[in-house]
Amino acid sequence: MPVYYLEIIVVVLGLVMLMADAFVKLEDKRNIAWFAVLVLSVVFLLLFKVSWPESTEGSPFWKFYDAEKGSRGFSLFFKGIAVLTTIIVLIMSAEFRGVLLKYTAKPEDGAHPQSGLSEFFTLPVFACAGLMWMASANNLASIFVSLEAVTITFYILVAYMRRNVGSLEAGVKYLILGALSTGFLVYGFTWLFGVTGTMDLAGIKEQLALDSVNVTAALFAFALIIVALGFKVGAAPFQNWIPDVYQGAPTPITAFLSVASKAAGFIVLLRISGCFFGSGDLSEKVGAVFVVLAILTLLFGNLAALPQTNFKRLLAYSSIAHAGFLLMALASPITLVADGKEPPLLDTSIGVIAFYLGAYLLMTLLAFLVMTAVRNQQEDDSLEGYAGLAKRSPFLAFSLLVSMASLAGVPLTAGFFGKFFVFKLAIQNGACGWLIAAGVIGAAAGFYYYFKVIASMFWNAPAEGNDGPIPVSMPAKVVMVLLIIAIFAVGIVPNLILGLIK
Amino acid sequence: METELTLNHFLFVSGLLFAIGLAGVLLRRNLIVIFMCLELMLSAANLSLVAFSRFNTTDGVPNYDGQVLLFFIITVAAAEVAVGLAIIVALFRSRETTDVSDVTSMKG
Repeated sequence: MPVYYLEIIVVVLGLVMLMADAFVKLEDKRNIAWFAVLVLSVVFLLLFKVSWPESTEGSPFWKFYDAEKGSRGFSLFFKGIAVLTTIIVLIMSAEFRGVLLKYTAKPEDGAHPQSGLSEFFTLPVFACAGLMWMASANNLASIFVSLEAVTITFYILVAYMRRNVGSLEAGVKYLILGALSTGFLVYGFTWLFGVTGTMDLAGIKEQLALDSVNVTAALFAFALIIVALGFKVGAAPFQNWIPDVYQGAPTPITAFLSVASKAAGFIVLLRISGCFFGSGDLSEKVGAVFVVLAILTLLFGNLAALPQTNFKRLLAYSSIAHAGFLLMALASPITLVADGKEPPLLDTSIGVIAFYLGAYLLMTLLAFLVMTAVRNQQEDDSLEGYAGLAKRSPFLAFSLLVSMASLAGVPLTAGFFGKFFVFKLAIQNGACGWLIAAGVIGAAAGFYYYFKVIASMFWNAPAEGNDGPIPVSMPAKVVMVLLIIAIFAVGIVPNLILGLIK
Repeated sequence: METELTLNHFLFVSGLLFAIGLAGVLLRRNLIVIFMCLELMLSAANLSLVAFSRFNTTDGVPNYDGQVLLFFIITVAAAEVAVGLAIIVALFRSRETTDVSDVTSMKG
């Protein structure tokens, strides 16, 4: 099956869901979500069965959709991240329906009591199609359109609970800052087009490597693009929006933003920065920019997370911190390549970043699943609500323990190898000392704020009037168990994820 | 005196538009005005795209890639406005304000 069929299937699935909501009489709108989970699981399996064209010459389609031999594995891997995240987000949304219905408009007389719920299941599917396309976009036009398809969908999803003050406020902030970053992105693309005379990333790389290229204009374009993409992945100093938007958005959407949107941002960043790393003169300056960004992001994300008292906000800062580690890998490109030989996967930035994102997906989604269950029982996501969680629900407490340990980077969990490979790459490729120092400080601070959560869960007593057991639905429980198993499995045999990339 | 229009003239105007838009986003407090300034930034990009396309010719034919991206930008901008105005209207309904300084309940 040709690889682009996957995106088509996902878009059609979204349309079918909309139609089903309008024309099929359903007692429980959650059935739409279960249907989508089923189809997306099939799509996930189909990722292993796709076929690629023999040659990309002739058809103009492949100028917009990457099919080069070297990057096929990565495209599929990032598509897999998008699909898997969407599946788990849909399960989380079904679990979250109580809170959602409370804060969307009250249905009129005679309307379905769950009206307004199924759009919340449909929009992530459309975003998923955009994310999958983004993983393969190799042309400025297709990068722009896929990125915007995702961003605009997120505007709606973030502001979805429009009777909730936080959600609406987060939506407005995301809208303004997102549109601002779009402005920068488009202007940067314009200049990149002006400098190179082509929209094709391969062509741009060729043009930038020529001696005749206008370095100043190329760097101007790069600066504009880095502002926009830095915003998308949450790199300091463009991280301003993340804490507020993550805190205000509905929890499943926060999970979606922090995993899939970040992963897609990084693959675009990798592809575009790859064009600049081709030429000696530019690559030095571009590399320096990434080092500075990585240091700032590592320090800001980790240190600002220390005093947080809201768990969701804590995870927002933690997501900035993890973006810092990913940027650290990006800032340590390979310096010496043996002629004609493919370097081993873990010696390249993209290999390490792919592994890190795979591990990050597992542990972050696990944390958000726990948060969804707890949020159903209480009004907000403050850390106090997690005090004594071990007494209220040992299963949830154990899940959160595994997730926090992995996020901190305790050995035998997936997160450990993520950080380990990043540091190994940085040292091996001769990254500057400041960068490594910032990484060490960040990792150490991480231990403090993640273990603060664990300590409060196990050693503190539950708050008064907030000490009942917490029910977890069956699908969510199954997913959580699978994620826990995956975290330990990858923590012991990291080749599990590396094998998927190949 | 007659001077021919060059690429630089177009780039200067487009840079000016971009700067005005950016300044508006940073300085103005009204959400609707901010949103208009954001559209101005996209228009700046559109103008320079057309200019780059027009002045980047092979055998007298402009490089039409740039003009194709322009149509995508216009379409996406329209979608963004549709969603954006809906969110701003929802905000106005619940808060009776479109001033950004009133949208600051979350801190930290």
